[in-house]
Formats: sequence, structure tokens, C-alpha cells
Amino acid sequence: MLAKCATRTLANVYGGLRAIATSSVQRSDNLFVHRDTPEDNPNIPFEFTAENKKRVEAILSIYPEGHKRGAMIPLLDLAQRQYGWLPISAMHKVAEILDLPNMRVYEVATFYTMFMRKPTGKYHIQVCTTTPCWLRGSDEILETCKKQLGIGVGDTTKDKKFTISEVECLGACVNAPMVAVNDDYYEDLTAKDMQDILSDLKADKISPPGPRNGRFASEPAGNATSLTEEPKGPGFGLQAGL
Amino acid sequence: MAGREAVKRAVQQVRPILSVDREEARKRALNLYKAWYRQIPYIVMDYDIPMTVEQCRDKLREEFVKNRHVSDIRVIDMLVIKGQMELKESVEIWKQKGHIMRYWKESQEPKPTDFLSKFIQGVN
Amino acid sequence: MIRAPLVKALGALSSPTHQIQIGSRAVRTTAVIAQQAPAKAPEKIEVFVDDIPVQVLPGTTVLQAAAQIGVEIPRFCYHERLAVAGNCRMCLVEVEKSPKPVAACAMPVMKGWRIKTNSDLTRKAREGVMEFLLMNHPLDCPICDQGGECDLQDQAMAFGSDRSRFTDINYTGKRAVEDKDIGPLVKTIMTRCIHCTRCVRFASEIAGVDDLGTTGRGNDMQIGTYVEKLFLTELSGNVIDLCPVGALTNKPYSFVARPWEIRKVSSIDVLDAVGSNIVVSTRTNEVLRILPRENEDVNEEWLADKSRFACDGLKRQRLVAPMVRMPNGELQAVEWEGALIAVAKALKKANGQVAGVSGQLADVESLVALKDLVNRLEGETLVTEQGFIKGAGSDVRANYLLNSTIAGLEEADAVLLVGTNPRYEAPLVNTRLRKAYVHNELQIASIGPKIDLSYQHENLGADASLIKDVCSGTHAFSKVLEGAKKPAIIIGADLLERPDGAAIHATILDYCQKLKKKDWNPFNVLQNNAAQVGALDVGYQAGVEAVIKAQPKVLFLLNADAGKLTREQLPKDCFIVYIGSHGDNGASIADAVLPGAAYTEKQAIYVNTEGRPQQTLTAVSPPGMAREDWKILRAISEVVSTPLPYDTLDELRSRLEDLGPHLTRLGELEPASLSEAGSQATISKSINGGPIDVKQKELRDYFMTDAVSRASPTMAKCISAVNKQQRQNEQAKQSVAI
Repeated sequence: MLAKCATRTLANVYGGLRAIATSSVQRSDNLFVHRDTPEDNPNIPFEFTAENKKRVEAILSIYPEGHKRGAMIPLLDLAQRQYGWLPISAMHKVAEILDLPNMRVYEVATFYTMFMRKPTGKYHIQVCTTTPCWLRGSDEILETCKKQLGIGVGDTTKDKKFTISEVECLGACVNAPMVAVNDDYYEDLTAKDMQDILSDLKADKISPPGPRNGRFASEPAGNATSLTEEPKGPGFGLQAGL
Repeated sequence: MAGREAVKRAVQQVRPILSVDREEARKRALNLYKAWYRQIPYIVMDYDIPMTVEQCRDKLREEFVKNRHVSDIRVIDMLVIKGQMELKESVEIWKQKGHIMRYWKESQEPKPTDFLSKFIQGVN
Repeated sequence: MIRAPLVKALGALSSPTHQIQIGSRAVRTTAVIAQQAPAKAPEKIEVFVDDIPVQVLPGTTVLQAAAQIGVEIPRFCYHERLAVAGNCRMCLVEVEKSPKPVAACAMPVMKGWRIKTNSDLTRKAREGVMEFLLMNHPLDCPICDQGGECDLQDQAMAFGSDRSRFTDINYTGKRAVEDKDIGPLVKTIMTRCIHCTRCVRFASEIAGVDDLGTTGRGNDMQIGTYVEKLFLTELSGNVIDLCPVGALTNKPYSFVARPWEIRKVSSIDVLDAVGSNIVVSTRTNEVLRILPRENEDVNEEWLADKSRFACDGLKRQRLVAPMVRMPNGELQAVEWEGALIAVAKALKKANGQVAGVSGQLADVESLVALKDLVNRLEGETLVTEQGFIKGAGSDVRANYLLNSTIAGLEEADAVLLVGTNPRYEAPLVNTRLRKAYVHNELQIASIGPKIDLSYQHENLGADASLIKDVCSGTHAFSKVLEGAKKPAIIIGADLLERPDGAAIHATILDYCQKLKKKDWNPFNVLQNNAAQVGALDVGYQAGVEAVIKAQPKVLFLLNADAGKLTREQLPKDCFIVYIGSHGDNGASIADAVLPGAAYTEKQAIYVNTEGRPQQTLTAVSPPGMAREDWKILRAISEVVSTPLPYDTLDELRSRLEDLGPHLTRLGELEPASLSEAGSQATISKSINGGPIDVKQKELRDYFMTDAVSRASPTMAKCISAVNKQQRQNEQAKQSVAI
């Protein structure tokens, strides 16, 4: 009976010879419609600070007349930096500045994952879990973050200080595993390093960004293993006749 | 030429259907009448219609009298044939009660022809 | 050929994925670029579609080239009246020597290309696209309202694979998207959406309301409004027609009928003065829905919401039996004989003191019948409810027509709107103006209150003296008008009702004599009801004042429901006969109510605002004892023993032809030349009335303007939806203020 059942399931799965391999669908955990919440609704006023207003002017001046909408992403980024995340009233403000329909701004803001459309902590811990980091132990790093902050991925601590997100490759594979906190990259991490970084941040002390294993940047750990000799001067390897 | 054509047409004999002369046509009509007359009691019984035999015979006479003005032998023959068909259908009970009763029903109300009656009845 | 260079410019400027984000402004800038290109006639190039040579202009897309020889390439996102998006990939075709299939809708042809629309590669590409589309499309055709008229269904049948390789259903299931509430007219089932973005482009380009957009990306992308918001515009119903699948469907029509059950009758819409061509879908003698019918000269292929959704008003508030007011003051249903005799008695007593008033929905046939009847009874007073300038102004046809024509307005390059809001008075005229604004650099100014026209325009103010300023050439906008190649001035019909309407009319008319060009008449009156031009054409006077002055003993109200005439203004013993389809203002003051047929129930001619006669056809029969309006009048004439000399529609139409030969040339436009139309010298040209106003300022004013739409529950829902949204907005503003 069981065997029969299994065969049938298999037949269902493969559906004959033309079956294609499937993997489970990864869906974004973000919501792509807006819901009014006490923290995020159109009635909360948003205004650029005086300092940022100057920046807005500067950004707008880059774009020629008739193409001011190109300034949308820089302006949204500016708003996000000012507010910590991107509330809907900030999108409306940007739309107002650019004289565009609100919808056009929503489209851009929802397209890019780095626009945070829900309340985000002061320190946004972005743990890379893409293959190179994963191979180098990003699971452990993520686990450390979760345990130490007591929140899950996508959550924010009660004191609004930390938010953890799981992100795709941030382009620092050579220093894997890595974590980005706001704009700073912390690289070559171990669980211990992650604990240190987080406890520093809890005390609002920002640890110096960069690799944690003593490297300066992405040079080989230890000494160079190739290209160790002096570089050859110009003219090396050319035909004698040249 | 034209004269000959006209003469030919005037004396032209149409091909008869059944009867060759008026007398024969009359006989056929009378025979049909008699056949119906004799069949009527059975029709009344078989179809169980709410009519007496006398009423039916009156209707029979009425139906024949309706065509009294017909003088063309071919038309008379055709009418007789149709009458025979009707009779056959009645005798064989191919008809139903309603078909028989239809002889007494006045035909449907005449369709209005003038604008106002059409308007009031709502016909186009 | 405006579209082709624009398409080219758009294609060059932006990648397909960002196409949808192009708002009005961006389109405008690209249009400028397209226009500035040298206008010398480009040489045609030869391409081969399925080995058939075809000569096309440079910049023609593969899809258009194929269409020229009748080869239809399947598509979902491409729509010839919208910008090219190129995101559905259904139109992939093989081009010889091209390494991969090209998207026909977005790819301009090159010289000597050999396009294969039915090769193995093409077929395989289509099959693959179709497989991807169907992967995330629910198989709910049996409960889908689009079933039977669904592009996806048809094209899956024609171009799809005959079996499915979709096994994911056993693991994670199909993608699902939550439905949006975008109003009482459009129902959304967003899981069915295939992201063609036609609705987004329509909202942004044609309707000018950028409420729809795409949010998210990849598999999570969805079409919607992002915030909870209703998609409220006077053209929202068109997204239903545009949607190639069942994602956007007709809410009042949902679960009502299948396309193969319904009978379709081509007809004309009469709820505004545009005269949009429609298809009435009926089943079992019931109007189920109304769809637009293509007519390039009138409505393109759009339809305004009132025209589309007010059809449920045809089933409510209907007059189904003749009624006569009893001595106790109540209307009582009687037989036709009784009603006709009651009317005839009153007419006998009237001694020629008979008058007639025609309303918004009166067709030309019944107007003529009423005119003939009243004239035979020695009455003279025949007026329309809608006013117009006094005096002989309506003798010259060009005085009350939209002379530039609806299609012609697309070519205009400077337009002045005087006391009109075309967005709500004639939404499909407004789409033309918007089209000209977007593609043709049209400059628009308005005199009147500040209103939202869905495009940018300069509001000169509401002061009536501005008309004088502009027309004397001293105003800044006069320079624009005088410098324009095809200027146009559009006057609202309501404005001419004012006491100084004649002066406004004459002033503008004189100015238009100066502005007019060869083959271009800049003088336009935008009528706001479907009966007005027809009534003026057959010789009615405008405005009910004449009736009040005449104090008739018997007054005929032919569909007159605007409520401009009250019982108090008429003599006490005046016998009012109402002929019309709905129990509305007119019927409530009448002594005899004679039920007429609505526009879907009769074959009748209506003349639209540009003077184009078009006829409706009988889609269903009138309810109860209702009769066609002209027949009622004909019957009355017979009862009073002066029968009108026509018994059939054909006879009546030949009488119509005697009155105005243009009236029976259906669908054809008889241009009225301006040269014959001079302003009357006798009219004083002092414009001294108050500020200029328009009646329909906001969307809520749009939905109920006549007897049919006032009886429509859907229109009532629209108004409450608009009000609800407005309340929400106000609350939001208040809470900000606090």
C-alpha cells in the first residue's frame, strides 16, 4: 500500500519524462503594499532638515531640466539617512520635491531592497548569507546576532536600536564572512568578533570597520604566495627587435 | 402569329387534377361530404369532444358552404383532396382533441393594421 | 503618424522595464524631441514578413509591419494607443540572422529584414513565454469573468503547449497576490495579473491619473496603488477592456453572464454629448453591460464611466404604464386609451396654447414629431430645457457646434476653455485634449474656476471680463492663440445660458473670425447633453423662458428632467404631459405621464456635439407598456384627429430629411462653415455677468447628470466612494493640523 502510494507520488512529481527540477520559491519577507501603522502613515509629517535641504538642492542641480526625476533615488536615500528608514511621508515629500505622482516614487522605493520601508533600528545589522559567506560560516554569525540581540531576522529590538536582516551578496566575498552595519563593513568575522561588535554597539561605541583577522583589506592572509618577486620593469618580455 | 398564339391560349385545356368536368367535381365533393357526415358520430365518440353530433354536422356544412363560391374545377379538386386528408387524419386518430376543437375556434384575432390600434396593442 | 516617431523616441530613451514609469512629463519631453526632427518625408524601406515584401516607413516596429499585411502577432502588453512596454515577451519573432528572437512590439525594422512569424523558433519562443505566464496564473477560468473573452485563454489555446510541466503545484503552490479595493467599478483579482502594465500605462497616459503602478520586484511584483486608495477617474472602466486577463473586471457585471450567451447590439451612447459608439450586451431582454465600439472620429476605443456603468439605471425608476393625475392629486396607472383620451381632452380645451419642452435624452425623431404635433395644434413654443443664447443665434449651425471636431482637437496647438470642464462634461473630448497636450505641445488656458483637467493648464481667472481681454488681443494668451497654427476656443454650453451669454458668444465668434484658418474652424461650443444639437437642428428654441412667457394650457415635456421648469412658473390649469422613460423630475410635476423608451430600446437618431448624426438600435424592448416616444406623439395626434403624416420610422425619417438633409446621413459630419456664421450686429457686446462658473467641478458632480444615471445604483455607489475617499483625506489633513 505504502509502496503504491510512493510510486504514485513519484509519478506525480516527475510527471513522465518532461519533468524539470524545482526548488522552493524564495519570496521576499517585505510587504509590497502600504498599511497604515502608528509609526508609518501619511499623517506623520516629514521635512528635510535645513542641512539636508542644501543637499537636496545640490543633488537636484546635477540633473538637467526636464530630467529631475533622476534625482529620485539620491533623494530617497537622503531621506532614509535622515529618518533612519523610509516612511511613506518621506516618499510623499520626495514626490513633492520632484513634482511627480506619489505612485512613481512608491514604485522605486519598493523596487530597491535597500530602502527600508518599515521601522528600522539605529544599527541595521545586515548579515550576508550568500554562498561564499555561508561556506565560511555565516550561519554561525547570524545565530550569534540572533542570540545576543534576542530577535529574529527582520525584527527590531524593543529599544529600536538593532534590526537584523539577512541580505544577499554585498560584494566582500574575499573577506567572508561579513556583516554590514549601516554603511560599515565588518569582515573576516568569527562569532567572538560579532559578539564584540554588538556589545560595542549596545554601548553606542562603534568598533572600527574592516577585516577582523588582522588583514588590512583583501590581501592574502599572511604573506603573499605568488608574485613575490619585484615587478619587472617596462619592456619586459618584448621582442628584441622592438 | 400573335393571333394564333392568342387563340391557342384561349382554347388551351389545363391539365385536370382529378375531375374532367364540373359534374365529376361535384360528385367528389358530395362524396367527401357524405364520408364526413357518416364519420362524425365516431369522431365525437373517439375524441370525446364537448360537442353534439348536430353541432358537428352544422360545422361540417358551414365548412363546405364557406367554399361554395369556388368554381374552378382544379381548385375544387384540391379542396376535396385536402378535406380527405383531414378526414383521414381524424379517422386514424392522428389528430388530437385540440385539433378537432380548432374548427370551432375563430381564427386568431386579426392583426391591427392602423397605427393607433397597433400602438395600443404594442405591436410594431 | 504621431505615434510612430514617439514610439521610436521612447524606445531609444528608456529600457523596457522603466517604460512604465514614464509620466506625462517625460512623454512630453520626448515628444518635443520627436517633433524637432526634420520633417522631410522619409524613404520607405522594404522588409519581408514571412517572405512577403512590405514597404514601411523607418521606425515602424516589426509588429506594425506585420500588421500591414494582415499578419497578427500575439501580444499581451502591446496596445496601439499606449506607449510600448515590451515586457510580456509574447510577441517574440524570429528575424533571419538575428541570434535570438526579437520582441516585435518594440523593435524597429531594418532594411531587408526577413521576419518569420511562424517559424519553429518563433513558435517555441511563444510556447515558452506562455508556459511561464501560465505558471503563475491560476486555473480559475470556470469562475473567471473574463472567461470566453480572455486574451490569455485564446492565446494559450492558439500558441501554448498542449501539456503542462508545472510540478511545483505539489510543493509550494502558485504565487498569490492580495486583491485591491480600487473602487465600486473595477473588481480586482490580482492573482490573475500577468503584469502587462496596460492599466498602469492607461492611467498615466490617457487618464492622467497616476494612481496605478507596479510595486516590488521579481516574483513579488504586483500592480496596485501601494497605499489604500480608490482608482477614481471618469475613465476607470477602460482598464477592464484593456486587461488581457481577468485581473480587472467589471464589478457590477461580475458573475452575471458569459460572452457567448449575450446578444450584442451596436448603438450610441447618449449620456453625454460626445455620442460614443457602444455595444450593448443583452440577454433575455435585459441590458447587462455596455462596451465601447471603435470609432476613430468620436471615442477612439474608450468609454466614459457614466456611459459604461449607468446602464443599470435603465432597469430602475422606469415608467411602465401610462399614468394620469386623479382629482385627489395622485398619479394613477391607466390603460393607453385612457391616457391618450385624457391628453386629447386637455388639448381640445387648450385652443392652440400648446408648448413643448425637450430634455437631455430626446431623440431627433421624437423632437420632430413633437414639433409637428405642436405646430398642427397651432402652438409655436418649442424649446429645449438647456439654454443657449437668445435670439437667432441657433439659426446658424456653426454657432452651437464643436466646429473643430472631436478628432480635430487632437491637432490643435492652443486651446482656450471658457466656462467649461471638458473632463466631466465630455470626458472623451478631454482625452483628445490630453493627447494633444502630451504629444502635440498643446497649450491650454481656461477661464473659469480652478479645476483639475488631468493635464497642466493655465487658469486665467474666473472674471468674465477676461473674455473681452483675450478677444481684444490685449491678454497674454491672445498672442498664443494668434500665433498658433490651429487655435481653438471651447465655450461651455452652460455659460451661454447666462443673461450675457449672447455677448460672450458674439465676442468670441468675432475673435474666431480673426483666428480661423483654411480648413480649420476655431469656434467651439461644447454641449453637455446628447439632445441639444439635434433639437437646435430641427428648429427648437433654447431655454425655458419662452414657455414661462407663453403660459401654455398644455405643456409637453419630452424627456425634460433637469427640473428647470417648476409647477409654480406655469398657469394653475396648465396640463403637463410628460413623455419619457424614467420617473424623475419631469414625471413628478406632470398630469399625464406617458412611458417612453430609453436609448437602448429604440432606433433613434442623436446628433453629437460636433454635429454628427448617429443612430441607436433597439437592443431590448421597452418595459411594460412603454412605447417609443415618437409613436406616443403620433398616437396623441390621431386621438386629437390631426394625425401626423407618418406611421413608420422610415416615413418619419423622410420627414427628417426634409427638415435637415444632414440628419439622416448617419455617422457623417456635415461641416458648418464659419464664414456664414457672423455675430449679429444688434447684440450688445457688454459682458457684465458675475464670475464664470462650471457646474461639474469635481468627480462627484460627474456621476449623476440625467434621468438614467440618477436612477443607477452603481452611480450612487461611485458618489459615495468619492465622498468616502474625500472624508478620509480631510480627516488625515485635520489630524496633521492637530
